Amino acid sequence: MEQQNELSFDTLVIGGGIAGSEAAINLANLDYKVILVEKDLSLGGKMIHLSKVFPTLDCSACITTPKVSETIRHPNITIYTYSEVKNIVKVSDKKFTATLVKKPRYVNEDLCTGCQECEDKCPVVVKDQYQYDLVGRKAVYVPFSIANPRVVNIDIENCILCGICEKVCPVDAIDFTQEAVEIPLTVKSVIIATGFELFDPTQILRYGFGKFKNVVTAMQMERQLVPTRPYNSVLRPKDGKMPDNIAYILCTGSRDETVGNPICSQICCMYSVKQAQLLLGALPMADVSIYCMDIRAFGKGFCEFYQQSIGMGVEFHKGKVAKVTEKENGNLILRYENIENGKITEVEHDLVVLSIGVLPNPEAKLLFNSPVIESDEFNYIKQTDELVCPPQTNIEGVYVAGTSSGPMDIPDSILSAGAASACSANYIRN
Amino acid sequence: MEEKRNIGVYICQCGSNISDYVDVEKVREEVAKINHVSISKTTMFACADATQNEIVQDIQENNLDAIVVASCSPKLHLDTFKNVAERAGLNPYNYVQVNIREQCSWAHSDKPVQATEKAIQLVKAGIARAGYSEALIKTKISAENVVVVVGAGVSGMRSAIELADLGSYVYLIEREYFVGGRVAQWGELFTTNETGKETIRRLYNKLMEYKNITLFTGAEIISNTGTVGNFDIQVKIRPRYIKPGCKVDPEKLQKVIDACPVEIPDVFNFNLTTCKAIYKNFESEFPEIPAIDPEHCTRCGECEKLCDDIDLGQKDEFVNIKAGAILINTGYDPYEPKTGEFGYKEIENVITLPQLKRLIELSGKELIYKNKKIHNIGYIYCVGSRQKDGENKYCSRYCCTSTIYTSIVIKNKYKDIHNFHFDKSIRTYGKLELLYREASENGDIFLQFWDEDPPVVSRNGNGTVVSIKDMLSSGKELEVDCDLVVLVTGMVPRQDNKIADILKAPLGRDKFFNEIHPKLRPVETVIDGVLISGACQGPKNISESVKSSLSAASKANSLVKKGEIELKPTIAFIDKNACVWCDECLKACPFDAIIKVQSDGKDVAEIVEAKCKGGGMCLPVCPENAINLKGYTDNEMEAMITALAD
Ligand SMILES: Cc1cc2nc3c(=O)[nH]c(=O)nc-3n(C[C@H](O)[C@H](O)[C@H](O)COP(=O)(O)OP(=O)(O)OC[C@H]3O[C@@H](n4cnc5c(N)ncnc54)[C@H](O)[C@@H]3O)c2cc1C
Ligand SMILES: Cc1cc2nc3c(=O)[nH]c(=O)nc-3n(C[C@H](O)[C@H](O)[C@H](O)COP(=O)(O)OP(=O)(O)OC[C@H]3O[C@@H](n4cnc5c(N)ncnc54)[C@H](O)[C@@H]3O)c2cc1C
Ligand code: SF4
Ligand code: SF4
Ligand code: SF4
Ligand code: SF4
Repeated sequence: MEQQNELSFDTLVIGGGIAGSEAAINLANLDYKVILVEKDLSLGGKMIHLSKVFPTLDCSACITTPKVSETIRHPNITIYTYSEVKNIVKVSDKKFTATLVKKPRYVNEDLCTGCQECEDKCPVVVKDQYQYDLVGRKAVYVPFSIANPRVVNIDIENCILCGICEKVCPVDAIDFTQEAVEIPLTVKSVIIATGFELFDPTQILRYGFGKFKNVVTAMQMERQLVPTRPYNSVLRPKDGKMPDNIAYILCTGSRDETVGNPICSQICCMYSVKQAQLLLGALPMADVSIYCMDIRAFGKGFCEFYQQSIGMGVEFHKGKVAKVTEKENGNLILRYENIENGKITEVEHDLVVLSIGVLPNPEAKLLFNSPVIESDEFNYIKQTDELVCPPQTNIEGVYVAGTSSGPMDIPDSILSAGAASACSANYIRN
Repeated sequence: MEEKRNIGVYICQCGSNISDYVDVEKVREEVAKINHVSISKTTMFACADATQNEIVQDIQENNLDAIVVASCSPKLHLDTFKNVAERAGLNPYNYVQVNIREQCSWAHSDKPVQATEKAIQLVKAGIARAGYSEALIKTKISAENVVVVVGAGVSGMRSAIELADLGSYVYLIEREYFVGGRVAQWGELFTTNETGKETIRRLYNKLMEYKNITLFTGAEIISNTGTVGNFDIQVKIRPRYIKPGCKVDPEKLQKVIDACPVEIPDVFNFNLTTCKAIYKNFESEFPEIPAIDPEHCTRCGECEKLCDDIDLGQKDEFVNIKAGAILINTGYDPYEPKTGEFGYKEIENVITLPQLKRLIELSGKELIYKNKKIHNIGYIYCVGSRQKDGENKYCSRYCCTSTIYTSIVIKNKYKDIHNFHFDKSIRTYGKLELLYREASENGDIFLQFWDEDPPVVSRNGNGTVVSIKDMLSSGKELEVDCDLVVLVTGMVPRQDNKIADILKAPLGRDKFFNEIHPKLRPVETVIDGVLISGACQGPKNISESVKSSLSAASKANSLVKKGEIELKPTIAFIDKNACVWCDECLKACPFDAIIKVQSDGKDVAEIVEAKCKGGGMCLPVCPENAINLKGYTDNEMEAMITALAD
């Protein structure tokens, strides 16, 4: 592995989702030098992949992309994408060391113009993780159309080393000799913004995800509703028909002891209500039913948003779905106890969306060597003074932003990032 | 002035938000025909970094003298593209944004052909406007690195500490005689079990460490004449009638309190008890010295006889402060139920959740209300929130959790108490769900009512009964005997909210203070330099309030720390020759940005640049047409109208 000279900054921000970007920009505006390390190929986290966002229904890409480009252009921010940090050690007050690992893209980022000539010619097609497997992509690929940085990357695991990309690239940007580079890093404070993971619904066999094609996750639905949507319409996966009777199953993987996650994910009620509204817009003839225990419309403007969806004709059924079965035509039968009348009820829908919950990103904990960073009983980063200093962790000088400390929507993630950057600035100053 | 003749035009697809309904290529072809348009392009996302760079390159390589982007609402991206222009060396005011999304593609999604025609017209008008756009220079004004924080609850205290740490000078202004706001009233708090008193003590002790924080209690802002960077604030400080040097001796204080003949309902205890005109709500309250409420004190002098530290001769004081920014942290009031609402004030054992919190604080080993030991408590949720027909449509966010937490505290503290929750579906979001689980495991009974069928509280002989049609048992009609009925009252905006008028800070539909955008600018208001955080912005628990106050503190600091602030140049200007000082513009301006001055021996109007928001209210009322708006001049508007009429 290649070694490079030490880098030094005021603050290390780990994770380039909305929380990480917001924290970095805040600090940079206060004149601190920030290094932002993002594991993925581009910035924006989950938010850049969302359709419109509750409760204001702004186009998510339209508010994320300018944030991302502000982050990238800010003179006080240095960004490493497709990179990770490890071995974070607190050496002394206001001194942390760490190792930055820049993974090989097999493409020279400075040369690549993002023309996608190579992508066009690459013979390999695999599932596109950024479209949540709804469509395919090549082995050499730009992550998604509004990715930033907008350069290609070679998925070496699926690449067959045919060398076509190397030949067609007009600027000789392909470089199969790249290796991971390790760079020693010194900083004065750290902000953890490594975000959340999504519940894997194959764990709940009775909902049939993975087996019944017309059972999809809310994230897949989100991708079908975005402006850059893969099918340019909402289709059911099994036969490409436009669905006209869609069901949402809330609390999939949340508030559920049997999957080890008793807490509420805080966002799925609202994103389901949002998607239901968007679906009624995209498919004016469709019916949308939401099966829920409660609708947690607690934030500013949320209750009004929920009431609006009732007004638009979204149907809410109180009850937990016990089982989904598939009919020959691909339609699905939901069996649930209707709490309002106590009857076990079966209903037919032609598309089922699982409102999957939020899980902690377990990696965050592993980045720290000494002292170790504490997490709560669910593996979220532990807030040690939740009332008076919410971003504070067990290590002085390390702060937490966004969903690394628990489920949160975008407005709350942004406020928590603002708080983390304020605490970090103070720690360095005093 | 010279018309711009080398214009670049970019038409955004906005993914497909625009291109699904507007044929962007056709729009491009049409506008490319205009003489002054030297570059015209369509783009997937005009705001994406790659496109921004491309625009910069186009401007520089082709020496464009103006650019037009046809995309979304300027509310979203006006500044984004102004920055693009600036980066390329073009004056940002030679940039025109045309909204073909909210005002075209989305509005006419059922008529794509007409939508395309409309888009063409709109873009043509934008190009015409760009032709007359003038390069404007931002003015810079000096800014005091001083921030006034209004309200010393948790949010205000936390903001003050943060700001002081970041190097700003802070004036913390609290209307009450003591700091801490609501939290001081609550006893044990979710989610840490710390008590409100402890939380406030920690914050107060920290506050006292700073030389760059001045705290005024019993104080209120009564006027402001300045603007961002240089607010001119007048603060009125009511007398405390206690000399500042007073070293409180609790025993003596009690004697003095006993001697005071004035007895009034104690609002700190939500009228569960009474207090005297001289008071301190609890022993460890801050500042340490007691206060005499001038509103109720009769100046009888009984207290003065017992203590030399009392001085009934103290007068109102007035302090003037110059500040760069103002941070509003004035919190909320608990909703006050109407008489008869679920038996409130008509049935004697119906109280509110805030009263219950105080009752616990005032009780010893047993929970006693009106001399009766309590066994069965019924909690009725969402009182004053989630109203279908009433004003308060919103959910108050804190109350499900607070009620459940309180019911757990009660279970732990007192024996033989049964909790019955009459709710409208429980909203213990996130990790707070664990409390809900704990209460259920404690054996609390949860019953749920339908929106349109709320529970009924009625007298039953000596007792009180809550009847409900319970959703969770498929609509069974149930009756529960309760010896205490607790109305879970929501949060409402401060009833006395004069500060909103004084600072002209806008309120939302829910009457809480309103931010510019919940995601893009969550702690700023449309009044430059006036920020908001904590529960004055909408219901929040402590942790959420503090997160927002930390965010707001860093925003306020970054605004004023450099000592100067740039002002938008898009403001009104007055043709002094034409002005006859009829004062119509003065009356029309909502921001008091117009003053009368002397010019060439006559009275004329003048614009106070830092106050003018460029709203243009003054323009149409001027009988002499003496006012123009920079960036929206008559030339530009007439050119647009001509283009649209074509
Ligand atoms: C289907 C769905 C719909 C939603 N809709 C809405 C909505 O309408 N409105 C709303 O307000 N919220 C919505 N949300 C919630 C929203 O997505 C989150 O609030 C938000 O994305 C949280 O941002 P974050 O930065 O904390 O985390 P993330 O978006 O997860 O970002 C974390 C970033 O850190 C990076 N990272 C992770 N580990 C490492 C590491 N070890 N080193 C370096 N980098 C790392 C990740 O690659 C990622 O870029 C929705 C969520 C879902 C799932
Ligand atoms: C019954 C109840 C129980 C609760 N329990 C919990 C709990 O256990 N855990 C939790 O996290 N949250 C709890 N909360 C929520 C908590 O009270 C709020 O989050 C918190 O008080 C918000 O703080 P704040 O500083 O924004 O507002 P406030 O506490 O309202 O403080 C605002 C301050 O501003 C002052 N002020 C107002 N107007 C002016 C003015 N014009 N000029 C100067 N000063 C002014 C007020 O006097 C006050 O001191 C509870 C709320 C209620 C109603
Ligand atoms: S070498 Fe790999 S990435 Fe390049 S074209 Fe071939 S398969 Fe695709
Ligand atoms: S690697 Fe070469 S061919 Fe591929 S996108 Fe980059 S510049 Fe184009
Ligand atoms: S937010 Fe709603 S859907 Fe998500 S876990 Fe909580 S209650 Fe269930
Ligand atoms: S938090 Fe609970 S009690 Fe409070 S308004 Fe919302 S749903 Fe009702």
